[in-house]
Amino acid sequence: MSHNIKITARPERTLKHNLYLPAIYAGFKVTFKHFFTNLNDINAVETLRYPEEQPTDISSRYRGLHRLTHREDGTEACVACFMCATACPSNCIFIEAQEREDGVDEKRPKSFFIDTLECVFCGYCVEACPCDAIRMDTGIFSLTGDKREDFVMDKEMLLSHKGAFGEEVSCARG
Amino acid sequence: MSTASIFVALISFILGALLALLTIPVLVWLERRIASLIQDRVGPNRTNIFGFRLGGVVQSFADVVKLLLKEEYYPSHIKMGRWLFMLAPVITFVAAFLAFMAIPFADTLLIDGELLRVQALPIDFGVFWYLSIGAVGVLGVIFGGYLSHNKYALLGAARAGSMVISYELALGLSVLSFVLLYDTVDFNAMVIWQSQTLFGSLPAWGIFIQPLASIILIVALFAETNRNPFTVAEGESEIVAGYMTEHTAMKFAMYFMGEYVAMNTASAVIITVVFGGYQLPWVSTAMLLENFTTFTVTLMMGVPIFLFIFIKWMRKNNRVKETLSSDGGRNFETKVLTTALVLMGLFIEMLLLYVSFIAPSDLGATLTVAIFQVITFVIKLMMFNIFFIIIRWTLPRFRYDQVQKLGWVYLLPLALFNLFITAIIVVGVGL
Repeated sequence: MSHNIKITARPERTLKHNLYLPAIYAGFKVTFKHFFTNLNDINAVETLRYPEEQPTDISSRYRGLHRLTHREDGTEACVACFMCATACPSNCIFIEAQEREDGVDEKRPKSFFIDTLECVFCGYCVEACPCDAIRMDTGIFSLTGDKREDFVMDKEMLLSHKGAFGEEVSCARG
Repeated sequence: MSTASIFVALISFILGALLALLTIPVLVWLERRIASLIQDRVGPNRTNIFGFRLGGVVQSFADVVKLLLKEEYYPSHIKMGRWLFMLAPVITFVAAFLAFMAIPFADTLLIDGELLRVQALPIDFGVFWYLSIGAVGVLGVIFGGYLSHNKYALLGAARAGSMVISYELALGLSVLSFVLLYDTVDFNAMVIWQSQTLFGSLPAWGIFIQPLASIILIVALFAETNRNPFTVAEGESEIVAGYMTEHTAMKFAMYFMGEYVAMNTASAVIITVVFGGYQLPWVSTAMLLENFTTFTVTLMMGVPIFLFIFIKWMRKNNRVKETLSSDGGRNFETKVLTTALVLMGLFIEMLLLYVSFIAPSDLGATLTVAIFQVITFVIKLMMFNIFFIIIRWTLPRFRYDQVQKLGWVYLLPLALFNLFITAIIVVGVGL
């Protein structure tokens, strides 16, 4: 046996332990105190009354719903490089590329779909993007819809989402 | 049989059925709300009918509707004994329900020289009835578990069966010491015995005269009803859901409701045998009938005070935080309920005034006292149910071998010892 092993002596079980009743009484006192205090004033319970109360502790690092950022001139920052779609572990990003005619850049996405029912909100797309074109800083944490199609975000919807923490335009593209 | 006797029998039967069945949704709701209050949460309080949420009790009815409308899934590997598999939850439910029927809700009425029992089943051997019918409930568990053809269900059923065997002995022996002490097997006579006073100050409740037997009775009934800390038969961390693993939808709901009826029955038995049944401490039925005017005047003063405190509590708690913009109709509900409670209070005052001063009669006095005792019984029953619930959210589950050890090594010898001492004292002193 190694000398590193330290044997702790088991606490001796006295009659008080074996009776169980003192311990039950002590536990009952604690639970009853909580029960009675909260029964007296239910509004003292520290619970978010969602949906009337919305969470206020969403930080800038929170991974909410995705958005596509803009350049300074208002066009999309995305260059359709497919890095996000490649990085995506759940294969929920579908991009179709198109040549960009206005001389700002070479490529732009013709269509950009994110199936949020497949998405696991891991943030790998944000990490992979070389143009800071996709972000998850909208602060939107609940997404509702009546049918499956409602959850497939297209390019216009993704571009229309606003960043919740001040940084509106892409930091990589002027 | 006179009209009065038929009337009393009918009312008692309806009362028994209502107390056993209508308490199920209330108990489910109480369990969820009390659990959340203990854990500093809010619990279900949103479901409502026309804005009336009654603290969330409507949720239980919504749950029943959901369970009724669920698909009746049936495991295809069960080839033999399908009917028994379906019947098993019903056995558990009906056994617990029938066992409740022997509990007296008020003292025996004396109307036109006739003695009428306020008991759903007017029998004078209630202890035997409870012990025999109450023990049938575990058969449903064993059948359900065995016929599921599932190892977890079988293990759960085996655990439930062995636990009932080990605790039934302690339960029977502790009840026997009460039978010796009260010298009766009639629940009603037990309550009457307990309405005496002890040494001039203590109520002669079983808990004060036989503390050891009372504790054994309460612990054994906790085990009998499969409540925490004795839920080994459905220990989800070891054997999935135990005997109800293969039961779905309404079959599961029957087991679930049966558990609550059994808990209700256990509470009723405990308060009847140990806590003075439908009586208030220090007050016997005869005393109430002799000093009827004093009693009604006290009640007439007590009802407004109680209603005032309750309405104050409701106005404080049936509202949302001030920071929220919408109250979800809670203010309207509080107003309506306050009006209803004040009207009810006025009605009770008028009724009491009528029976005590305007038209005093023996019949009126008897009925008033009986109704008062029923209300006392219900309040005591609910208090003990709440005790059951708080214990569930206080204690962790015993390990299976600890359950068996507690039953055989501690409770059984203690119950035997207590019975021995009780017998010596009862025979020796001639109590």
